[in-house]
Amino acid sequence: MTTAERGLRLDEVHVEFSRRGRAPVRAVAGVNLRVEPGQIVGLVGETGCGKSTLARVAVGLIRPTSGAVWLEGARLNPLGHGVRSRQDARLQIVFQNPFSSLNPRRKVGEQIADGPTILDRASKRSARDRVLQILEEVGIPKSAADRFPHEFSGGQRQRIAIARVLAASPSIVVLDEPLSSLDASAQAQVANLLVRLSRDLNVGLLLISHDLAIVHHVADVVAVMYLGQIVEAAPTKQLWSVPLHPYAEALIQAVPRAGGPRVLPDVVAGEVPDPAYPPPGCRFHPRCPYAFERCRTEWPALLEVSKGRSVACWLQTPGDAGASPSMKATSHRADVADG
Amino acid sequence: MKVLLDVRDLSVELVTKTGLVTIIEGVDFQVHEGEIFGIAGESGSGKTMTVLAMLGLLPRGARVSGEATFNGINLVGLGSRGLRQIRGRDIAMVFQDPMTSLHPMLTIEQQMTDHLRFHQNVGRSVARKRAIELLNEVRIPDAEGALKAFPHHFSGGMRQRIAIAVALACRPRVLIADEPTTALDVTVQAGILRLLNDLRTRTGLAVIMITHDLGVMSLIADSLSVFYAGRVIESGPTSDVLTRPRHPYTRGLLDALPHPTGAQDAPLVPLSGTPPSPSARPSGCAFHPRCSFAVMSCRASLPVLEQIGDRRLACPIDPFREAM
Repeated sequence: MTTAERGLRLDEVHVEFSRRGRAPVRAVAGVNLRVEPGQIVGLVGETGCGKSTLARVAVGLIRPTSGAVWLEGARLNPLGHGVRSRQDARLQIVFQNPFSSLNPRRKVGEQIADGPTILDRASKRSARDRVLQILEEVGIPKSAADRFPHEFSGGQRQRIAIARVLAASPSIVVLDEPLSSLDASAQAQVANLLVRLSRDLNVGLLLISHDLAIVHHVADVVAVMYLGQIVEAAPTKQLWSVPLHPYAEALIQAVPRAGGPRVLPDVVAGEVPDPAYPPPGCRFHPRCPYAFERCRTEWPALLEVSKGRSVACWLQTPGDAGASPSMKATSHRADVADG
Repeated sequence: MKVLLDVRDLSVELVTKTGLVTIIEGVDFQVHEGEIFGIAGESGSGKTMTVLAMLGLLPRGARVSGEATFNGINLVGLGSRGLRQIRGRDIAMVFQDPMTSLHPMLTIEQQMTDHLRFHQNVGRSVARKRAIELLNEVRIPDAEGALKAFPHHFSGGMRQRIAIAVALACRPRVLIADEPTTALDVTVQAGILRLLNDLRTRTGLAVIMITHDLGVMSLIADSLSVFYAGRVIESGPTSDVLTRPRHPYTRGLLDALPHPTGAQDAPLVPLSGTPPSPSARPSGCAFHPRCSFAVMSCRASLPVLEQIGDRRLACPIDPFREAM
């Protein structure tokens, strides 16, 4: 890879957790993903699909069983006991719960100052200036620097957690469910902040969330994950207007809307299978309303069907104009009957 | 329809280190047979405290006043012996996190049959049969096998369905569901909502649905009350309130949500400020420091929750009246 490569790239990442006396769990089974600077990539999927494992692999908290993570063209070293290189520290993570991710005994300013003082060996004075500047960027009053985390609300704390990450001047930030512990109004503030960061500071964001409405609002590109694999990746608007994978279709139609019609969404049949024993063929086939013979035996690869849009489904073929799974299924059944 | 639960002027005070703090103030609502009644509001607005107060589940030293009449009995001041006869039998509750509300060390059978045997005085085999019926009702595959299993054997959605089955064991008239789908994924959430909706149409069960998710409210609640700082500030039929909100707070909550068809590039509109803590509630209307329509009188006097047609509103300014 050339050094001109920018952003974050996950290359055929597999993660397997071995369990004594039992079959290993393949939490992530072959994921390719890119996050460019200034881009917001949303990663959605149900609990247990491997989203959080992927987030941890992406920042090096978990060593992938195979595959690699590349940051700006250099291979990212999984976190060890040694000091992380300045280069690798340009990749940062924000966790779900700002009540546990901030140190309750240290002042907000000190925690943010860790970035400039440790990573950039900044003097006390210049670190302080940087802290005040960052607090302003995330919309927290400067007086916060001398206060403790417990003095702030959940939404403010999450913005402080983001401020701490920004202090490392990251090029990519991975956010693991950063909004799910917040009320609607605080969510809106943090969501706006994320958009501003990517646009103004040219930071690339990998936003992991099960809240599809928020992802829809902020993400440029969305990847849908099911049982350790990405089943569809597409520009957000295209994905929402015509989802190509049956699972993506089910997810998107299940999002309730305040003040929307009172129609309960359809329920996807069955339960998420045990990742230690994934079904043969397409991993979604036991729950898929459109599954046919091939889906039960052959595994569909994630293929690009149109520019920037890929899907792993036997109903979709490359170069074909995108049509929803239900339309595709109808024509597929007609083809089978004819031929 | 018959009123099952009639709550009038319910207030709760808690004893804290700094003295008595009012958590809930003058809450009124009615729940009818077969109705899904929603309680909405941000965290800390008193949603959960309201139902815990009715059931006598508040911490020691809490002072509850007002009335909560179920079946002609006032639950407030009933005492623990009387409440024990009603809790779990006539009024049951489902909590947010099925991982903590189910006992991790007991089999599903033990958790499902204990209160059944206590309340209905039936033998082990009858209770077991009833438990299997219930598990089938909430669509747990292989109900017999499930009875022998422990909570950790099930996925989050299945655990929540089991928790609902436990709550339904004694055929309660009212089910209180406190954020029952908040910890679940949207596809699983759809299943739980369908189940609750199905139960109320088939059995006339009344459901009190507590959630901060106004999308979920729109899908399932017939009517709702919006809570702010321990008071009801607006209530009425759900679709009406959520499509034509009249209180600036309800309006603000809705505006903060991402709109699925709205302009993606426009920033979301958060409410300014943060909700007040119960020990430092502002004078007059508790929302006035965050309200862009506030006038002098909002600071001075507490707005009354006034009946307007089939809705109620606690805002004398009523800035969105014209839009009605």
